[in-house]
Order: sequence, then C-alpha cells, then structure tokens
Amino acid sequence: MQERHIDIVIVGGGGAGLRAAIAAAESARKENREQRIVMLSKVYPMRSHTVAAEGGAAAVTSAEDSLQAHFDDTVAGGDWLAEQGVVDYFIRHAHQELVQMERWGCPWSRKSDGSVQVRRFGGMKTARTWFAADKTGFHMLHTLFQTSLKYPEIERLDEYFVLDIAVADGTVAGVMVLEIATGELTLLRAKSVILATGGAGRLFRFNTNAGIVTGDGMAMAFRHGVALRDMEFVQYHPTGLPGSGVLITEACRGEGGILVNKNGYRYLQDYGLGPETPLGQPQNKYMELGPRDKLSQAFWQEQQAGRTGKFGDSDVVYLDLRHLGKEYLHERLPFICELANVFINVDPVKEPIPIRPAVHYTMGGIETDAHCETRIKGLYAAGECASVGLHGANRLGSNSLSELLVFGRLAGEQASQRVPTVPFTNSRDLKEQAQAQKTRITQLYDAEGEESWVELKRELVLSMETGCGIYREAKGMQATLEKIHELQARYRNIRLQDKSRAYNTELMQCLELGYSLDIAEATCLGALERKESRGAHKRLDDGLQQRDDANYLKHSQVFFNAEGPARLCWQEVDTHLSAPAERAYGDAGKGVKQ
Amino acid sequence: MTIKQISIQRYLPEQGSAPYWQEFDVPFDDSTSILDALNYVKEELDGSLSYRWSCRMAICGSCGVMVNNTPKLGCNSFLREYQGPVKIAPLAHFPVEKDLIIDMTLFLDHLAAVQPYLINDSGEGSDTFKQTPAQMEKYKQFSGCINCGLCYSACPQFGLNPEFLGPAALTLAHRYNLDSRDQGKKQRMPQMNREEGVWSCTFVGFCSEVCPKNVDPAAAVNQGKVESAKDMLIGIFKS
Amino acid sequence: MAKPTSYFPELKRDWWLKHSYFKKYMAREATVLPLVFFVACLLAGLYSLLQGMESWQGWLQFMQHPMVIALNALAFIASLFHAWTFFQLFPRVMPLRVAGRTLPPNLMVLGQWLGVVAVMVLATWIFLRGL
Repeated sequence: MQERHIDIVIVGGGGAGLRAAIAAAESARKENREQRIVMLSKVYPMRSHTVAAEGGAAAVTSAEDSLQAHFDDTVAGGDWLAEQGVVDYFIRHAHQELVQMERWGCPWSRKSDGSVQVRRFGGMKTARTWFAADKTGFHMLHTLFQTSLKYPEIERLDEYFVLDIAVADGTVAGVMVLEIATGELTLLRAKSVILATGGAGRLFRFNTNAGIVTGDGMAMAFRHGVALRDMEFVQYHPTGLPGSGVLITEACRGEGGILVNKNGYRYLQDYGLGPETPLGQPQNKYMELGPRDKLSQAFWQEQQAGRTGKFGDSDVVYLDLRHLGKEYLHERLPFICELANVFINVDPVKEPIPIRPAVHYTMGGIETDAHCETRIKGLYAAGECASVGLHGANRLGSNSLSELLVFGRLAGEQASQRVPTVPFTNSRDLKEQAQAQKTRITQLYDAEGEESWVELKRELVLSMETGCGIYREAKGMQATLEKIHELQARYRNIRLQDKSRAYNTELMQCLELGYSLDIAEATCLGALERKESRGAHKRLDDGLQQRDDANYLKHSQVFFNAEGPARLCWQEVDTHLSAPAERAYGDAGKGVKQ
Repeated sequence: MTIKQISIQRYLPEQGSAPYWQEFDVPFDDSTSILDALNYVKEELDGSLSYRWSCRMAICGSCGVMVNNTPKLGCNSFLREYQGPVKIAPLAHFPVEKDLIIDMTLFLDHLAAVQPYLINDSGEGSDTFKQTPAQMEKYKQFSGCINCGLCYSACPQFGLNPEFLGPAALTLAHRYNLDSRDQGKKQRMPQMNREEGVWSCTFVGFCSEVCPKNVDPAAAVNQGKVESAKDMLIGIFKS
Repeated sequence: MAKPTSYFPELKRDWWLKHSYFKKYMAREATVLPLVFFVACLLAGLYSLLQGMESWQGWLQFMQHPMVIALNALAFIASLFHAWTFFQLFPRVMPLRVAGRTLPPNLMVLGQWLGVVAVMVLATWIFLRGL
C-alpha cells in the first residue's frame, strides 16, 4: 500500500473543511513555516452539502443588536443544552468571519448604501442573518473553494473516500483512503487530522439533505472510542417540499411568509407562538419566526387533528408568500421560486407552497472540546459532524453557516499549531491498521452474502422515521433500536453486484450504509435513554412530556462497542453564564430573559 | 405508474469493452426525474451502473448528463418531458471514465487558470467593502455558476480544442473583473487574451441555452472579448 | 492498479448535424456565402466601370440574369437574417445601463431595427433623387 507523509489531513471539502484548510495555510504562512495540507473529499468540494444552505449566516451586526442577545437566543433556542463557553466564543467571532467572507468576494445582499443587509430568522430576537439572496450556502461554498485556489500548499484529493482514521496510543496518526477513480488504497500519515464530514440527515427517509450526508466521519471517530454526543437531537426543518424533501428556506418566513393549515388558518397561534402578527409584518420570535423544533411539532399536532391538506401522498400545510409580490420574491427568494416551479409545479407568486417537515440537521456529533479537539490527540472535528456544543437541543436557523466558519477556522489553526510540536506517530501498528482496511475491502468484494444495501438502507431510513421522528415514544424507539441491531447483523452478510475497482459507487453506498447503521444506533439509544422532552427531542410517554432539568440537564454520550450494543453515559453541561429558565416565544416570551 | 424504456450508454473499462447502449424499463410519474430513473436502475436493476449525484435540487452540479444529445442536469429534467425515446449518455467533450462518469480534471484546471478569487491588496480588514446593489448587479448573474460543466458539453469549440478555457472559466474570470471590490483584472487579462481564451469562442450560444442556472456564459465570454480588445488596444498604444 | 483507460469520443466533422441548435448556428455562419457573392458583384461592377462603356454594359447584363438576381436576393435575406441574430445577441454583449438599471433587451433590439429602417429610408431617398 502506498504511504505518504502529510502534516494536516482535512477530511471533507465543504464549508468547514475549506475554512479549516485556508486557516491552516494562513497560520503556517504567518509563522514562515512550510506545511503540507491535504484536503480530501468523496466529492468535488463544490458538491458538498454546504452548497444547499439557503437562508443565511448569523452574526451580531446592527447597532440595536448585542452579543448578549445572540448568546441568549442561542442558549434558549438550544433549551439550555448548549455549552455556554462555546456559545460565547462563537457569538464573539461570527461577525469577523462573515466580514472575512465578504473580503474574499462573497456576494452578500446589500442595502442601498453599500453595506451588508440582514434579514429576520426564526428564534432570533433581532434581524442578524447575513444572506446572499436565498443561495447563501452556495455563494459561501464557492467563495471558499475559489479562495482556496490561492493556496498552492493546499493539495486537494477530490473523490477520495476515507475508510478509517489511523490511531496509535490515543493519538491520531493519519487516515486510510480509497481513491474512487481506481479503487487504490493509500495510507496518509499525518500529525493532525480534521474531520469536516457533515451531518447524517440521510439516516431518515424524508430529509432535505444531499445523498452524501451519511455521517461517515462521525462513525469513524465513534469506532475509535470518541463519544457521539447529543445524537438524539435531530432537527426537522418545518418546510420541505412534499415528495422530494427539497428544502424551502426559513428565510421565506423571515421575509414575511405565513403558514396556514388546510382551512387557511394560521395555526401557530395555537402553539404558544401567538398572537397572530399582521400579514406583511413579521415579528421576531412570534408565529412563523418561532424556532424550528416548535414549528415542526405544531405541524405534527395539526396532522393528528386532521387539519393538514394533501399533496400527492403527503400531508401538508401551506407556506403563503403571495402577499410579498413578484418583484420582491424574485429578488429575495429566486431559488425558492425556481425549486417550487420545477419540483412541484407551483408558482409561489400565485399559489401557496405545500410543505411538510423534513429531517434537516444533526445537532449532535463527534464530541470535541471548546478548541475542536476530540479525545484522540490531534484529531479535530468541525461543522455539522462535530458536537462542539453550540446548538444544544435545537439549532437556530443561520447559526450553522456561521458555525462552520468560526469553528472551521479554529480547527484549522489548532491543527496547524500542533504540527511543529509533534513528530509523526511511529508505530508498527499502523501497517496493520492499513492492512486491516485492505482486508475489509477485499472481503466486501468477495463476500457471497444475500443482503443488498438497497433493502437494508430502505428498512433503516423507514425505521428511523417511524421510531425517532418529530414525536417519540419508548415503544417505537425500542423497536427501531432492535431493527438497527438486526440490520447490523444482516449487514455482515452483504453482497456487492459491482465487482469493479474503478468508480465503484455501489461499494461507496455499502460503506456509507455501514457508517449510517452505527450512527443510527447512537441516535436511537440517546433518544431512548433521554427520558424527558427538550428542544427537538419530544416524547409522548406519560410523565416525559416536559423538560426535566433535575435529571437530564446533561449531554448524552454514546460509546461504540465492537462486541455488542453501544453504551451511554451522561456529561454535565456548561451553564455558567445563563441559568436554565423557561423557554418561551410569542407573547409568552415577553419579559422572560432571553 | 406507467413504464418507460430508457437507454443508457454504458462504458466499463475493466471489462475492456467499447461503449454500448443498454435498455432499461423504468416506472415513472409526473415527478420522476432523470436522476430518479438512474437511481431506480441502480437500486432495482443493475447495481453496477455508475453516475454522480448528490443534492438532487439543482445546486451541487454533480449530475450532468446528455439526454438525447442535449446536456441536462439529471435532477431537474423529468421523464414526462420526453414523449419519444430517452437516451442518456455521459456529458460530451470530456473523457469518459465509466458509464456516465466523466473526467472533470481539465474543467477544474481551466477554472483555476483564471485566478477566480477576489484580488485586492488592502489585506485583512475588520470591516466589509462597500458595494451598492447596482455595483453588485453588474456581476451577480455571472456568480451563479454551479460548475456542472453542461456548458462545456454544449460548446463545439471546447469539443474541438480542449485547451479552450471554455464558458464557465471565462465567465468566472469576467465575474471577478466586474466586481467593484476586485483589482485583479490586469492579472487575469493575459489568460483571456490568449487564443484559447475568449477568442476561441464563436458565439454559438448553446452554452447559455443549456445553463441550468441562467448564468448566460455566452454573454460573459463575449463581454470578455470587448474587454480583451480594449486591453490589447491599450497595450498597443502603451508600447 | 493504474487508472483504467478512459474513452474520449472525438468530435467528428459532421458534429453540427447532430443538434438543431448547431444547424441554426451553421445557418447563421453560412450567411457569409451569398454575401461574398454580393460583394464580388459589387467589386466587379466597379472594375467594369473603370474599363469603359462596353464592359459596364456587360456587367449590367450579367446583373440582370435571373440566377444573379436570385443570388443577390438571397444575400439580402441572409443579411437581414444575420442582422436579426446579431441584434438578439448585442444586448447581451453590450448591456446598456441607464440610472443603474440594465436597459431591457427588447428595447435595444427595437432600437437596432429602427436604425436599419432609417438606413433603408435614407438609401431609398438618395436613390430616388438620383433618378
């Protein structure tokens, strides 16, 4: 097997990975130090799922706003499960990162005086979301990718699939990668490895995520003993298109769009988000500008009460944008108009858009400290794959694009600073680890099993949706957990149809499925064991429908167990800046400190 | 659901075969995209079929293919649009690696060649540049490129000479040249002035026709010709 | 394992027959052929004018040949067709901005046709006055 020595390996070429790569390169330049950086990804960087983010990126910007307000919104939005020191670092650094993006050419939407425009977003007290029409993620990703081309020291390995992290004595030693074009394996030895592999929305059948969002990095860290933290918190975005799940941005509501049920009634006022705000006058933290968890839960209630409409096979409510007018819609939400037209043949200028909640974001992830480092020395994680502790039990829209910049940069700098201080890990064990991967792949090729990844995956995503959906109860989760264990067993009996080496996309699917199964187990276990309702984790079981700070003001940590079922521990939450209080929106939130 | 037969061009280099066509029966309704059809084939009929895809919402740029000789994104073209036969082939004018997967190397090299990033020597700053909506309007359309490569498959000049920088790269160069914050035009012009720069374009215009994002690369390239002509004239008078 | 060979379909000479869009493009480019004939006629006329009366009469006779009239009529139509395609493209190549807003392309196309009409009127006026 080929072997190369690299200083820093970055896994993933989305927003966090690119930001980390640039930060690492800059950091070494400042110190006049040569440094080899490899950024690898299973897709070309501009295909990464950051590209699909629409609404915007949050940072305190206007004079009326304050860091304290952004802090309070984020902590309350996360139902006090966020690490408050981390939130504090985040809100202080977000603005500078967005400014940096601007100085790299990101076309943020502007006011007439040439300064940056901000828009309203759910759960945020003030308008503080920077945006580039409704393609913010696209513009950020392409700006980062194009800027990265300025740095010849960043070597890109496009369409390389990571099989495993190499670890020796609790320290990272590199990664084993498979070149998709040839099927060839390489051991990339490195002093620092940054995981920026994104979330795991594809665990669920109905989701807004790209096909590549299968949680690979999470599973790799997990298998090496790093905890997956707060995995039970899975965000349902309230507005996905029926059928495909394509995302309809929250910015629609930030700009004044309203949600109505089949009777044309703005039902959110019945779920603690009222009173109804006048049409065309959206008010922060009221009605449609409540947080995502509450809105998705309200949909479920309406569905149970039979007040949802039908679009194809889907139960839907309606997002009405008509009062905003054609010109405004085409300026602020051109992509939404295009998506609605193409995918469901609805013109938002003339008709309300039928929508329903869809899995959107993984709040939990690879446990890291406040400096993005995991419990494996030299192994960092940033972006959606990480649980640095920013989002707690529910993420506020537009915090994640800022997150991948703030923590992508931090991870890149940390990884870079480590490089001159440590030697390459020298262990004979590495060759064995690499060999083990080779064997694993060979066995997959040779296996004469009966199971196909297609069937296993279908059963997994269906079971996750049934057991770990918007509302959950013990029975359903128990069944899902058992299903996952069954699927894990059947996975060992899998068979590939495609035996070729080059571009074996079926092999990729199988490997991704293996990762997904592990993460699904962590998600389901966390959900089952959290016997309370908090943020995006909502239980129907008797006595568990409220938040229970006495017992569960804690992070869940799930640890991998090669021999049997994963195990779960609890970890204290940092609440040193803001004591847990009631989380309230609409008029109920008036006077409550948040 | 009704059934439709689609033909897919297969190429399996490890079996040493030449490209060949293979037919598949695919169930479809009004919402079935070309990508859905490919996924159906892979999951139900032939697991060895290889193609790229990711976002399935026309923004990641992965799933470009030729449908009946026209470059399309698989995810936003629908089977309902085709009454007659549906023939799906890899994007034209690129080397084919396997089935519908093409080699994107040259495309990416061309992008990188035009220095597609903001060049401004004012260094790190704690505040944004000012840019009015009118200034942004000048380049906004050209910043919408998703790098899907459809325009290269639509461009016979690129097909005849792969050294031609091509629509997407030239559009990106023009996008930065038009940006009021940028000072890098001088560095980019030598690339654009080359024979393989803007001057290889004969304004066929098909690139803009197939662009799934209405970026209008043909307009950008030909505006680039005006800039290039000005730049060369100024060069003559200066020397 | 080395990278498996890729297959690179070469563009054949008849590439433009494969798509209706390319055929239209070739038609646009082919407008140059009758126009070359027209210019050649014009140059021949000038030359024969210098050669004296007899030559000039000969040229006039040649120009009255139905084939020649047909070819020149074709050249006229071709030039109008080319102008039409060119006028469509022009607003995209030279977008005009008035008060920060791009002028609607249709308006620019219309402006160009008005120019054509003006030239024709002028030419007709000069021609008729000469008679």
